[in-house]
Amino acid sequence: MIHFISKRLRHSLVLLFMASLVCFTLVVSAPGNVAVLIAELRGAVATPGYVEKVAEEIGLHKPLLMRYAGWLGDAVRGDFGISYRTGQEVSADLPKRMLVTGTLIVGSAVVATLLGLALGFLGAFWPYRLPDRVSRGLALLGASTPTFFVGALMIYGFSVTFQLFPSFGFGGPESWVLPWVTVAVLPAAVLSRVVRVGLEEAMASPFVLTAKSKGLGRTAILFRDALPNIIPVFINALGTQVGLMTATAIIVEPLFAWQGVGDYFLQGVKFRDFMVVQACLLIFLAFFIVVNLIVDLAVLMTDPRVRRQWS
Amino acid sequence: MNRLKPAFARLNKLPRVALIVIGLFLALGSFAPWLAPQDPSAQNLLETGLGPTAAHWLGTDHLGRDTLSRLIIAANTSLVSVGSVLIIAMTVGVAMGTIAGYHRGWVDDLLMRIVDVGLSIPSLITALAVIGIVGPGYWTMVLALSLAWWPMSGRISRAVAVSIMSKPHIEALRVLGASPWRIYFGHLLPGTIGAVMVYATADAGTAALAVATLSFLGLGIQPPTPEWGQMLVDALPYLESDPRQVILPGLALTAAVIGFNILGESIALNRIPKPLSRRTLALRRIEVAGWAKENSDA
Repeated sequence: MIHFISKRLRHSLVLLFMASLVCFTLVVSAPGNVAVLIAELRGAVATPGYVEKVAEEIGLHKPLLMRYAGWLGDAVRGDFGISYRTGQEVSADLPKRMLVTGTLIVGSAVVATLLGLALGFLGAFWPYRLPDRVSRGLALLGASTPTFFVGALMIYGFSVTFQLFPSFGFGGPESWVLPWVTVAVLPAAVLSRVVRVGLEEAMASPFVLTAKSKGLGRTAILFRDALPNIIPVFINALGTQVGLMTATAIIVEPLFAWQGVGDYFLQGVKFRDFMVVQACLLIFLAFFIVVNLIVDLAVLMTDPRVRRQWS
Repeated sequence: MNRLKPAFARLNKLPRVALIVIGLFLALGSFAPWLAPQDPSAQNLLETGLGPTAAHWLGTDHLGRDTLSRLIIAANTSLVSVGSVLIIAMTVGVAMGTIAGYHRGWVDDLLMRIVDVGLSIPSLITALAVIGIVGPGYWTMVLALSLAWWPMSGRISRAVAVSIMSKPHIEALRVLGASPWRIYFGHLLPGTIGAVMVYATADAGTAALAVATLSFLGLGIQPPTPEWGQMLVDALPYLESDPRQVILPGLALTAAVIGFNILGESIALNRIPKPLSRRTLALRRIEVAGWAKENSDA
């Protein structure tokens, strides 16, 4: 078990190193002269002398390896350089933005888990009957509706027509409800299918037959025998979906006027602010790697078969 | 057409609906300029935000443009961009996949690690990062989405190529002295392209969604060219007074995506019966005759 954890940690470190390499090469390979771009963004006329000064200032003349080492050293310490557009530190309000995006992702993950489990159980409890068909139809609809359309419908339904929740802003808990549900629709649809199919497979296995022959009812078997069996599969699927939520956050945050990392990334992309794009990309990639690590450890905890393999 | 009929009848109800929706999307997209009743970008500021009338069947938007015409032209925009994305992504993916499957060894390892990295990052983030570096524009969008999409077809075509390379007829060709070029272009490539095409069509729904999402974020198709995602974001400030302009493009996009998703699921579950060619039928007859012989021997 300790062997597995140490191996997995080393694996994550290698992945983190590769992610940093990807972020660095992306910005280095940008077309055009970065120094000219910065000079123009600062509102100055890009005379050769000034461009030269800027290039000297951001260290464009140094060899690539030196620049990478310098950048990585700063990034590890939380310094992502200076925004080309605003001239301020990229990391200035990053902690606040990460908190906003964190709230969004954690809340959505909880909502998606609850919705997915409920829909999946509905289908598994009455297989191939009306509730199952309803659950399957909802899953198809949820997996196919574009997230921005879901968000627009949520605002129209719950904020314009019924005025239950505010349509924008990051205020109290009631302003969190609509974004959470909007982000959770797609993962919930996928998870409900995972639960439904997993439960059906578990219900066909020999230990369920044993439980039936002991005289247990369907509800007891579903919760006591089948449910523990699908937990590792469910955690795996949830991990993938939480990773994908970063992409959804980029769509949902501007829609609800939340100032999170996704919104920051989008601003950076729109104004070609490489330093912001680079920083956000590195945060996203690090997030995937950490989520994957947590998922693997959680599977190790919940699946006795995997645990036995590694002990 | 006659050969298609039994295949169509054997489909379940859901895939049949999906095929109709996809057919409608393809037809609208292909013939949009002739089907649109009015000029999609003709503004009429005297007739803004109208409901359905005889002249404008689905009303007008905040600039007085005919919504129905814009929806139809948007199908064309979507079809063209999705088509180019899939063609570029598939070309790159099949090339990489077949090279990996043909060579194996370190080439295979290297290419598949790149594919792994590409697949582990959500396609929207990859596409946005590329747009952020290169700068927005139509061809940047197509390029960025292709870059996000090729690992998928790369992995599938590599798996297909490996299975083709391990078949006895490739070994026979080698023994007969066929050149690597002949094996690659004559036998490996045609077989792989066929298999990958099937999966790529199923993927068209997510590609359409990605185009619409980028346009919604203002980084894809730029106004005044109508596109569903861009129409939706255009009408969003007027959500309170005129929700129809937000809901209609959303519904059109959702319908197209549902169609492709059902098709993809059916392909994954292998529920789509293939129209049988004369050659397959003959092969099957020989096979069945073989079974009968085995049974009579026993």
